[in-house]
Amino acid sequence: MAKLEAKNIVKYFRYDSHKLKALGGINLTVNEGDFVCLVGPSGCGKSTFLRIVAGLETPDEGQIICNGNLVSGTGPDRIMVFQEGALFPWLKVQDNVEFGLKMAGKPKEQREKISAQYLEMMQLTKFADSYTFQLSTGMKQRVAIARALVMDPDILLMDEPFAALDAQTRDLLLVEMQLIWEKTKKTILFITHNVAEAAVLGTKVVVFSNRPSTIKQEIENDSPRPRMPQDESLIKLQQDILNQLRPEVTKSKG
Amino acid sequence: MAKNFALYRIIFYIGIVAVWQILAMAGVWPDNVFPSPYDVAQDLAYGAADGSLFYGIATSMWRLFIGLTLAIVGGIVLGIFMARVEAVNQTVGSLVLGLQSIPSIAWVPIAILWFGLTNGGIIFVTAIGAVFAVTINTYTGVKNINPYYIEAARNMGAKGSQLIISVLIPAAFPYMISGFKQGWAFAWRGVIGAEILFSYLGLGFLLNVGRSLNDVSQVIAVMIVIMLIGLAIDSLLFKRVESKVMFRWGLG
Repeated sequence: MAKLEAKNIVKYFRYDSHKLKALGGINLTVNEGDFVCLVGPSGCGKSTFLRIVAGLETPDEGQIICNGNLVSGTGPDRIMVFQEGALFPWLKVQDNVEFGLKMAGKPKEQREKISAQYLEMMQLTKFADSYTFQLSTGMKQRVAIARALVMDPDILLMDEPFAALDAQTRDLLLVEMQLIWEKTKKTILFITHNVAEAAVLGTKVVVFSNRPSTIKQEIENDSPRPRMPQDESLIKLQQDILNQLRPEVTKSKG
Repeated sequence: MAKNFALYRIIFYIGIVAVWQILAMAGVWPDNVFPSPYDVAQDLAYGAADGSLFYGIATSMWRLFIGLTLAIVGGIVLGIFMARVEAVNQTVGSLVLGLQSIPSIAWVPIAILWFGLTNGGIIFVTAIGAVFAVTINTYTGVKNINPYYIEAARNMGAKGSQLIISVLIPAAFPYMISGFKQGWAFAWRGVIGAEILFSYLGLGFLLNVGRSLNDVSQVIAVMIVIMLIGLAIDSLLFKRVESKVMFRWGLG
């Protein structure tokens, strides 16, 4: 069943009087339970596409259909995990995680029950009373993921959430992310410029072309899990993705 | 280190008082022009004994509290509006910049004409002297909020007043604190200045009484009280709140 449909999404970047076509008609269907990884050359507009799905930006043409409903703004059915986490420094970890529930007017007891569950899932229980500056970058991203999961969204949108992490932390989170996906059965749309990351996480890898971006290829990936970036079974897939990407990256630089 | 400096400070103040006492004892100037520290201390003791000093302190502090509260509430509302609505910024914002350059004391004549020689007039001068500093700092704070905070909050369902109370104000708070500190400093100057000119109770009034009685030691005594209250509020209230906020943000 299609959880999310993007129909011919066109978006222009505007600088002063210049107009640059960033998205040149994106058509994408994400099924329930899919873990879709979007890769593309930098500046191709993949983050913009994700923001349009989230409802943080509006497309110039086309529509996003989520759960059969036309998207016309942000909604708790589509929750975003930002690149830098965007955690609130004035709140403790637990209050960060409970933020969305509080906005929804959930009573304190219920909030605490739900947040405790996700804090435990993300191994953050010990840090519930910490402020965010006291956490490592990896910990911060765990909090950001917990904060999103608490909202129980239909689709989790992740915008290069591991880009700022060191290699070891990233490998750890790649394994955890697979476990979370299996446990929560969430539909996930995940942006990355890291080919290995896409190969490890995705049930489907979607390659964006250079501007004006369209979808160049969709590659299904049903290798057994848990996967690791070093897995031999993923090497060919990574090569395939790279071969698709390379001409686009060259074009974007030329 | 800290301990050493505390010691330096004590020695410094003892030195000042000692030099002052020596100058007074040398009799270069007459007593009624240059009183000794002892005279001033005696005056403080009299003021404390008959309660007039405490009454003056209470009156000034009460006016300061009301005026500053009005300024903080008004400044936050105005600052947020300016930061979030460009039309308000372009119109009201330009006026705020202009009004900010008017010293609080310059509001006294119009306050007297509008309110008469009342508490209301003094509170008006106190509030108006402080409100624009709070406004401008709140505006700057809201403008400098990481846009991802607002997007994330909206994404998680925060809107309208929820967004303002749960995100805009706490996210802008480090800047707003500077506004409160500036606002408080302006308000304290404003209330004392207005009390001198209104000559209606309070520490400023006591200063004026000292002047009209030619009582220099009373004037100096009240000035010392004004300074001590200023130091106390700065270090006991604002510095504490500030360091607490800075700690949370990891800036401490």
